[in-house]
Amino acid sequence: MILSLAAFAYATQISAQNKYRNFTELSRKTESLAKEYPALCSVKSLVKTAGGKDIFVLTIGTGEKDQKPAIAVLGGIEGNYLAGRELALGFAENLLKDSGNPDIKQLLSSITFYVFPDISPDASEQYFTGLKYERVINSRSTDDDRDFVSDEDPYEDLNGDGIITLIRVSDPAGTFIESDDDRRIMVAADLSKGQKGSYFVYSEGIDNDKDGKFNEDGPGGVNPNRNFTCNYEEYGQNSGYHAMSEPETKAVADFLFDHFNIYSTVAFGPQDNLGQPLKASEKQPEFTSFEQGMGRGVGMGMGMTRGAPREPVDRRITAILKKDEIINKLVSDKYHEITGAKGAPSAVQAPGNFMDWAYYHYGRYSFSTPGWWYPVEKGKNSEVAFLSFAEKNRIPDAFVPWTEIKHPDFPSKKTEAGGIKPFIMNNPPADTLGYLISKHYEFITALAAMHPELEFIDTKIENRGDNLFSITLKVHNRGIFATAAEAGSINQWTKIMRMVIEPAKGQTLLSGQKIQRIQRLEGGSTAEFSRLISGKGSVLISAGAINVGTIKTTLELK
Amino acid sequence: MMKKYKFSSAALLLLLFLPAISWSQSYQMFYKAAGSPANPGVQASWNKYYTNQGVADLCSKLAKTYPDLVTMETIGKSFQGRDIYLLTITDKKTGIHSQKPGFWIDGNIHSIELQGTEMTLYTAWYLCEMFDENDFIRKLLAEKTFYIAPTINPDGREYFTSSTVPPRSGLAPRDNDRDGLVDEDGTDDLNGDKEISLMRIKSQRGNMKIDPSDPRKMIRVAPDEKGDYELLGYEGFDNDGDGLINEDGPGGYDGNRDWGFNWEPNYVQNGADKYPFSFPENQAVRDFVKNHPNIAASQSFHNSGGMILRGPSIRGGGSEAYSRQDDDVIERIGLTGEKIIPGYKLLTIWKDLYTVWGGELDWMHGNGCFVYSNELWTSYLMFYDSTNTDQYEFDRLLLFDDAFIPWQKAIHPQYGEIEIGGFKKTLGRLHPGFLIETDAHRNAAFCIYNAYEMPLLEVKDITVKNLDGGLKEVSAAIENKRMLPTHSASNLKYRIDPPDYVFLDGGTVLSGMIVDDVLQNRTTEQKKNPGRLEVNNIPGNSQVYVRWIVKGGSKFNVKVESVKGGRASGQSK
Repeated sequence: MILSLAAFAYATQISAQNKYRNFTELSRKTESLAKEYPALCSVKSLVKTAGGKDIFVLTIGTGEKDQKPAIAVLGGIEGNYLAGRELALGFAENLLKDSGNPDIKQLLSSITFYVFPDISPDASEQYFTGLKYERVINSRSTDDDRDFVSDEDPYEDLNGDGIITLIRVSDPAGTFIESDDDRRIMVAADLSKGQKGSYFVYSEGIDNDKDGKFNEDGPGGVNPNRNFTCNYEEYGQNSGYHAMSEPETKAVADFLFDHFNIYSTVAFGPQDNLGQPLKASEKQPEFTSFEQGMGRGVGMGMGMTRGAPREPVDRRITAILKKDEIINKLVSDKYHEITGAKGAPSAVQAPGNFMDWAYYHYGRYSFSTPGWWYPVEKGKNSEVAFLSFAEKNRIPDAFVPWTEIKHPDFPSKKTEAGGIKPFIMNNPPADTLGYLISKHYEFITALAAMHPELEFIDTKIENRGDNLFSITLKVHNRGIFATAAEAGSINQWTKIMRMVIEPAKGQTLLSGQKIQRIQRLEGGSTAEFSRLISGKGSVLISAGAINVGTIKTTLELK
Repeated sequence: MMKKYKFSSAALLLLLFLPAISWSQSYQMFYKAAGSPANPGVQASWNKYYTNQGVADLCSKLAKTYPDLVTMETIGKSFQGRDIYLLTITDKKTGIHSQKPGFWIDGNIHSIELQGTEMTLYTAWYLCEMFDENDFIRKLLAEKTFYIAPTINPDGREYFTSSTVPPRSGLAPRDNDRDGLVDEDGTDDLNGDKEISLMRIKSQRGNMKIDPSDPRKMIRVAPDEKGDYELLGYEGFDNDGDGLINEDGPGGYDGNRDWGFNWEPNYVQNGADKYPFSFPENQAVRDFVKNHPNIAASQSFHNSGGMILRGPSIRGGGSEAYSRQDDDVIERIGLTGEKIIPGYKLLTIWKDLYTVWGGELDWMHGNGCFVYSNELWTSYLMFYDSTNTDQYEFDRLLLFDDAFIPWQKAIHPQYGEIEIGGFKKTLGRLHPGFLIETDAHRNAAFCIYNAYEMPLLEVKDITVKNLDGGLKEVSAAIENKRMLPTHSASNLKYRIDPPDYVFLDGGTVLSGMIVDDVLQNRTTEQKKNPGRLEVNNIPGNSQVYVRWIVKGGSKFNVKVESVKGGRASGQSK
């Protein structure tokens, strides 16, 4: 039964969350949810990171949870987007608190949720321990700047305020100037405007290895959100030795691949397709929906086809497909409607990111958003825009004023430390977390309500005499989502729907296959089947797949 | 008294020489042919395929018999828990294996491509057996290290040698037809002969008939002729009742689409699995190669087609860089390979074969190596004649019908009475017994040549010049006497390995510099840490020049350490 979306309005309570929780607090809460709701919720630690932290996943649902269509919700996609962790775990908390509500009960009887509070716990913990800087890399020691030494040039807190901002060095050879729009912000001097630089700007720290670069190789690491296989950048910045090299990414991918019942992912991180939905390209790739990806390596092992050299064909899909574009737009509209968010965050392209992987390589409906952003007018400097936003919204102490310091690398030059505080451009004030969690909880449950759902309709039995029966029936998808994303139809890691006809003893199937594949069904569309059967009895018919559910019916032929 | 003593001493002498006489009589059973060991320490014959047990046995024997050359280890386990063996072969007395340029060889990544294992085993055996007898091999093992992994898919190999025809991949179960069942419909050995042969059925609708000149052959009938047979494909039936036959057998991925370089998922690259290094066998190779950055060049054996394959594997090469100089070296070595292995052609994968995403060759290249992959066996080898590739004639004249399974009746669960027959799995892509050793020697020779051309560094022309103020200027040349540079273009572009380090010992170093132009005497000073000069690359068959300003000392030692180029040192006079 498709749930009415209005029904949620009265049910949602505003979450009470008003602080950012560290790893221990998140873990404790995660484990306590499983204890508090043992029938609905179980927790598993998938792997320990190099920094000794767990990647947790909560399974929330009823009955045979892993056999029901499911949505995965993930936080901690990048270590400096802390709000995502609260949104993910907060979703789980709200869902369980609300589980007595008849609409949620109904939802949980059809849909399972897998919640990963944080897939980058090594990096996100930096905010809570000692020196605060925006860290995106895990605890695997790597040679980030390829100088054949690892972790030799970290940040240093030169002005003793416990956070890392910037330093600016007065120097006639410098390439930066103060912005005309806000003198606190440093921008590159624009020669075309006749500007001459008078500062060098670096992140706060010293050049430990005297290579001219500052703080380019600190403790850690690989950024898990650069380590997924889609558009993975070989030798990229913090991308790892190879795609899926990290325990975090491998554990998450293994879990997702093993759970064929998952049909959609919702991630909280820098990539966004909810504020601003994605656009399909004009040219659509040609492939038939469910014949692709079948029967490769067929038994024989004589797979290597040799022949005349042929023109290489590039089969890679690089833009959202048309049918999925429609769903993305629908969901984005719903997101704006429920959360009240205006506009969209600035697009953040990054090689090897999770959102793209979940769509192009995992073949599911993939949604992602930071969950919170501030408005930036087109063409304007985002830091300047942030400071004016911070002032309007009374975010205190957003900027550390430029103050002179002594810097060992610039003994004869005036050096000042200052800049926008870390984390606050990507993360909302803690006292708004409760509200955001509630809104995103509403959104995800509304998204879940759009799930595909099969039903048999127009079932007809015709008795042709002489013990001969014709049966026709239709399989109808009465949900909004298709039975699989269009990108999933060519993906080896999604299942194809099947219809199975089981005649009773004494009945024979005269025409039509016992097992037949059902092609992908858009929301609202139908596939028709007919069979010819001889003999009286009960014919058992089932249709579906693990990611959409299986429906059954019995036809009495008498 | 004297007489008696004399007689006994003569008898004593006879007794002493008797064993020698009988020993030399047995020694004379064999006379050494050119280029082969006459009395190998490890007996091995090369007209058969080795099972996994045979591989382990031969490797152990080599390690036991030649402890000063060979170390045997397990680098990991396969999906089904079998050992993946690796032999490290070098002259241990002249240096540590990891400090010499390393040559990697592996075979049998694809289950039915068995003979790669025989090629690698022969190479290992030959190097060991010829070390004492042959100057070239002796010098080679003093300068270089071989890392030889006879099979990196022992599960597939086991299936081939003990069961029927394996999938191309290893044996991790996969739902190839995406129906929710795993490995439910593979081939079926209907007549229990451990082969998967062709099926034919007598049929009024058939378009095939038995060749009147050779009952083994099936030929298509003319359009106006009526055939009496239909070919039904490979042995099997529809195990899961879904209307398809043999669509989901054991395994079903491709181990050579699993490597972490230019990797793409299955819909782009057939055979790819979840992500790169999804499989333990390849993970084992990855970890070993990563921990042995001295590996500078490699060979991975496949079948078939008679090819010496080089990269790039995708158009444009993706992230790889091939410089003009690298290309010249690759072409030169590859074309020499065509001479060494007649019938084999040097081909570029994406251009002359097909695009491969996530292949082992590209990954090795991405680690800074020079890589080839040979596709073993070509029908040219049957009659050394590219115009005669008639397998039936070859089987009759040279194998005496040994490779053909005569058509025989069998019962098929769906079709009823059918006939099964065809060539055995050991002919078509695999060398017949009598041709294994020849091709093994030729492919080993290609590996040896390839390994020989890995860098060989020499420190020479150390000169000491007196300067004012009691300082000295010490200059030296570092020569690379072989074709391969110490750093490939990829290696330089992506800073995969450190530069070659050149150290000076014997005085206090005040300044160090690279001599960019010897004739013009142009130098670039290295400001940081001049006692350890950083040379980006020493190209093939060329020299680089270094210089220091030193205080004190009289005798100086110059030492070069290159990750992929090995080490060398020299002393001033």
